[in-house]
Amino acid sequence: MNDTYKVNILMVDDQPAKLLSYEAILANLDAYLIKARSGREGLELLLKHDIAVVLLDVSMPEINGFEMADIMRQHPRFQKTAILFISAVRMSDLDRIKGYQSGAVDYISVPVVPEVLRAKVAVFVELHRKSKELEDLNRELESRVEQRTRQLQESESLLRERADLLELASEAILVRDIAGALTYWNAGAEALYGWARVEVLGNQVHQVLATEFPGEAASCESTLIEGGRWDGNLVQKARDGREVIVASRQVFKKDVGSILEINRDITAQIRAEEALRQTERLAAMGRVAGIIAHEINNPLEAITNAIYLLRNHPSLDDEARYYARLGELELARVGHITKQTLSFYRESQDPINVPIKDILDDVLELQGRHLLMNRIVLDKKYFTEGEVRGFPVELRQVFLNLISNAIQAMPTGGKLRIRMGTRWNEASGRTDLCISVCDTGTGITPEHAKHLFEPFFTTKSTKGTGLGLWISKGIVQKYDGSIRFRSTAYKGKQVTSFCVIFPGVRSVLKGSESIYHAVGDDNARVPLGYA
Amino acid sequence: MQSETTTREFPLDTHNIHILCIDDEELALTLRKLVLEMQGYQVLTARSATDAMQVLEVHDVDLVLADQVMPGGTGTELTRSIKKKWPDLPVILISGINEIPPDAIYADLFISKVEGPEVLCAKISSILSTRRCSSS
Repeated sequence: MNDTYKVNILMVDDQPAKLLSYEAILANLDAYLIKARSGREGLELLLKHDIAVVLLDVSMPEINGFEMADIMRQHPRFQKTAILFISAVRMSDLDRIKGYQSGAVDYISVPVVPEVLRAKVAVFVELHRKSKELEDLNRELESRVEQRTRQLQESESLLRERADLLELASEAILVRDIAGALTYWNAGAEALYGWARVEVLGNQVHQVLATEFPGEAASCESTLIEGGRWDGNLVQKARDGREVIVASRQVFKKDVGSILEINRDITAQIRAEEALRQTERLAAMGRVAGIIAHEINNPLEAITNAIYLLRNHPSLDDEARYYARLGELELARVGHITKQTLSFYRESQDPINVPIKDILDDVLELQGRHLLMNRIVLDKKYFTEGEVRGFPVELRQVFLNLISNAIQAMPTGGKLRIRMGTRWNEASGRTDLCISVCDTGTGITPEHAKHLFEPFFTTKSTKGTGLGLWISKGIVQKYDGSIRFRSTAYKGKQVTSFCVIFPGVRSVLKGSESIYHAVGDDNARVPLGYA
Repeated sequence: MQSETTTREFPLDTHNIHILCIDDEELALTLRKLVLEMQGYQVLTARSATDAMQVLEVHDVDLVLADQVMPGGTGTELTRSIKKKWPDLPVILISGINEIPPDAIYADLFISKVEGPEVLCAKISSILSTRRCSSS
């Protein structure tokens, strides 16, 4: 609003001469002067223009000044419009003028003194200007308030959106204060670690998650506090004891003294890489074994043949023959070892009848050293040769996995119980072959049991590939068989048993014989896991 | 193919039996030849698959015993060439490597060197007896 703002003054009088004289008096007020010859015309002009002051003659024909003022006051737009009555000094008129409580109302008596008229109108004009200014200011203020409110709403919805995003993230996002107490824990963290928000907020993050740092914990923390950020892999524990490996990015916010942390679960990825490395290692071992086999087996054959010729040479006396025989026996041991460890013979094209008894004995012989080292008592009973048509290497793999798992579960001794027998299967009308491997080791928690046959699942931390049981199950299923398992407490011991079932095979025993109840060993009466 | 019971029922007159022995390593070849000769067999030798085919063209041979890994032609390759020309001539492959090649089935027997001379001789006489029986 500027200074040149000109207001409108409406002058209403039925006498043109008076209008002219008012015009002359108010000419230097810097206002537009609008003339009306009657109350009706005055009202029409009021509606068309924004009028600051109405100069109103009281005594007019048709609609007099008071009547016009009454009409104006009924209209909301004109309730506050300033009215200056021009009137003869009569008591009744004065009383009536004072009756206009609201709005700016004044009067001037006839004969009009020009200075008084000019002064009174000027006051009203000024009043109008001021209130107009105030109004504008108010409007501006209101629009500013409105704008600010809109901005606040926008930023609030943006913040809410960001908060929603944090909850959507599959990464674990957490915030802790400088002392390590958790202040934020998103849904991703709940999913990854299994701890609900309410359980962990306020607790020490590294205590909750049993964080293992790559190197010194203190040096990682000081890098974060001094350098402002820290990236690296952490090994942590979820609520169920499961080990998780996360790629962690942490930022220290100096101004608010909090540490923001985003952790991505890379456990499966690390396991897969580890398994791949293991596979590559095995492949490399296979290649090396092939070379070694060639290099050992060739001279071995030559030496064996030479000693054979020597032993059977007619010139030899009994003593020399005895020595040659000793040499031959020792060579047989070397031959046996290379056959055991270096013969990864590829399967022939056709399946053959494989006696599981031989496979089990073979595996147990290989694991003999481990059984001895872990002070494990072996209790095996075969009620059948257990012939299965298939490939020896595959079948060997299955029982090698089960037996070596059992041995590893008993690092401080225990009993390894192996049973093979047949069982009549009412449903299929065939006699199944059942082989069970039981250990009295650490047992399997129900939580782990759910994942037991999944690839890359391992409880052996970084030592296992997590592929053993998965592969075993795959092989057994190829033979239309199944693997079942049970881990129960029995007489204060944890008994874990795996049972491999091959359907419908020929066996030495009659199918109807209930062989598993006829175990004569008193120490070995533990329930089997395939009931 | 490998029925061992027949050996005792039909004792072999090994002196009329000719075996062709093939190996690129001379020492191993000589020792194997000596072992077979101790059983009474007549033993011919060759140092490669190519040599072996030439020997077979000239001599009447009852059984071939070849090493699997040889430069200039493996045992299984040799077996295929032999079986093409003389389908009834038994071939035994002997190998120091720990992998059975897929085409090993062309041979009558694929055996590890580690098995030792006694097992080898038993297998040879078993194969020869079976042949004798079916041909007579």
